[in-house]
Amino acid sequence: MRLLDIFTHIYDEEILAKLGFLKTIRLFEGIRKRQLIHVLESLQPRTYLKGETIFTQGDIGRALFIVFSGKIALSRLAPATRKNEVIAEVNPGEFFGEMALLEEMPRTATAYALEETRVFMLFKIKLESLFFSRPQIGVIIAAQLAKIMSARLRAIIEKPE
Amino acid sequence: MTTKATEQKNNYLQFLLPAFIGLAVVYFIVLAKNALFPFILSAALAYIINPAITYFEVRGIKRSYAVIALYVVAGATLFLGVYLLVQFLSTELQSLQQTWPSYAERIQQFILNLNAKMVKNYPLLESVKLNEKFSHLLEAVPQVILTLLPALTLLFVVPFITFFMLAGGSGIMDYLLDHLPARNVEIVLHIASRIDASLGNYLRGILTEAFVIFLIAFFGLTMMELNYSAVIAILIGISSLVPYLGAMVGAVVSSIVAYLQFSSFVPIIRILLFFTGIRFFDDWFLQPYIMKKAVQLNPAIILLALMAGAELGGIWGVLFSIPVTCIIKEILQIAVELQETEFRWKPKPEPTRISIPYT
Repeated sequence: MRLLDIFTHIYDEEILAKLGFLKTIRLFEGIRKRQLIHVLESLQPRTYLKGETIFTQGDIGRALFIVFSGKIALSRLAPATRKNEVIAEVNPGEFFGEMALLEEMPRTATAYALEETRVFMLFKIKLESLFFSRPQIGVIIAAQLAKIMSARLRAIIEKPE
Repeated sequence: MTTKATEQKNNYLQFLLPAFIGLAVVYFIVLAKNALFPFILSAALAYIINPAITYFEVRGIKRSYAVIALYVVAGATLFLGVYLLVQFLSTELQSLQQTWPSYAERIQQFILNLNAKMVKNYPLLESVKLNEKFSHLLEAVPQVILTLLPALTLLFVVPFITFFMLAGGSGIMDYLLDHLPARNVEIVLHIASRIDASLGNYLRGILTEAFVIFLIAFFGLTMMELNYSAVIAILIGISSLVPYLGAMVGAVVSSIVAYLQFSSFVPIIRILLFFTGIRFFDDWFLQPYIMKKAVQLNPAIILLALMAGAELGGIWGVLFSIPVTCIIKEILQIAVELQETEFRWKPKPEPTRISIPYT
């Protein structure tokens, strides 16, 4: 029992919780928990306060954002009305901005925090280094990314007019 | 109109505090640059060691425990290493102490003979007074060694400061990050990740390279039965931190020692071949493998950086010149890219377009 106590002192519960959280993210589906450590090493956390803008439509995208806690709204400028319309809300466990991982193109929407939100950022350069240093993880992420993009494309096509 | 003017005034006012803090920091650095030096060294050391701590941290072990464990293990290894080295070196140093006067005399004699021959063939060289200059140089050697002594205090101060920097982790960085304007976080982190990727790879690469060269030199010179092989190998290892210097220093020092020890040119040729081999091995195998992900610097730029470093900061300037050049190169590259993308210097990149629809 004492030995277990020592382990609870040595182990950082916060990190273990983060690893558990990453296991639930669709982008990392299929990556073993032990390998997720390398993914966690590549992520950068940051907290956004309510109302803070994460990026604006037209900004060059360089990172993908995973929502750890809180809520993010994605809005887009409607060409007809010239008004910002909320197109989606991103909840814990979901992610957005994945286009930045494929090409450094202008963002297609604005993202802002609806409440105090903690996000993990995955930068393109970190993902690329993961592809080369840990190809096993890289292949899984690339395949998941392709599946997700395909699903989003399908959703656009199948959307009723 | 008034509201617009007030808004503009507020816009300028928001930069007042950061500008004031920035200026104060620069002024402080200028005033206390000598006191800051151990902190710069410690920060560099902490930056190099940090991945080892992160390795354990992301595996769930608390950072403070990881740092303590690393210090205990590194301390024990260092103690053992130094103990063995002192044991090994003490005999070498003792023998050097005994043989140095005769070596010095032989070096001086060699120079005198050389000078006499050269002056005989080329009388113009008499005005250069090579022998006088050389005796000055020999006298200056102990003085140079004495100037290195204050650097020894760094050996105690730097690990101490590094410990607290490592234990504190990314606390300061996280604080700064949390207080940056939210919209700029992505770009700032993008720049930081790029500098970190290239500089980190360079520093870790050059340390591995220096260690491998030290091992090869040590075993090679020991096998050639050269005296003071451990001392020379350490010298080569340290000088390998500066590009191109390691093998050159090794070849020169080993050749002198070999000449004094064997009084023949055959071992010198063997040594020169050995160091040429090291140079090629370094260029063809070690560097392409270790440094493949680091910043690629043109040899001319390296030379310029080394010379500028020496002029600005002496021996420490030389040591820091290449990492600083790496940072400058990466920043310049990012700046050009940003000019092109953010300020529309170049037309917007066209997204990939495919005519066949999704099926």
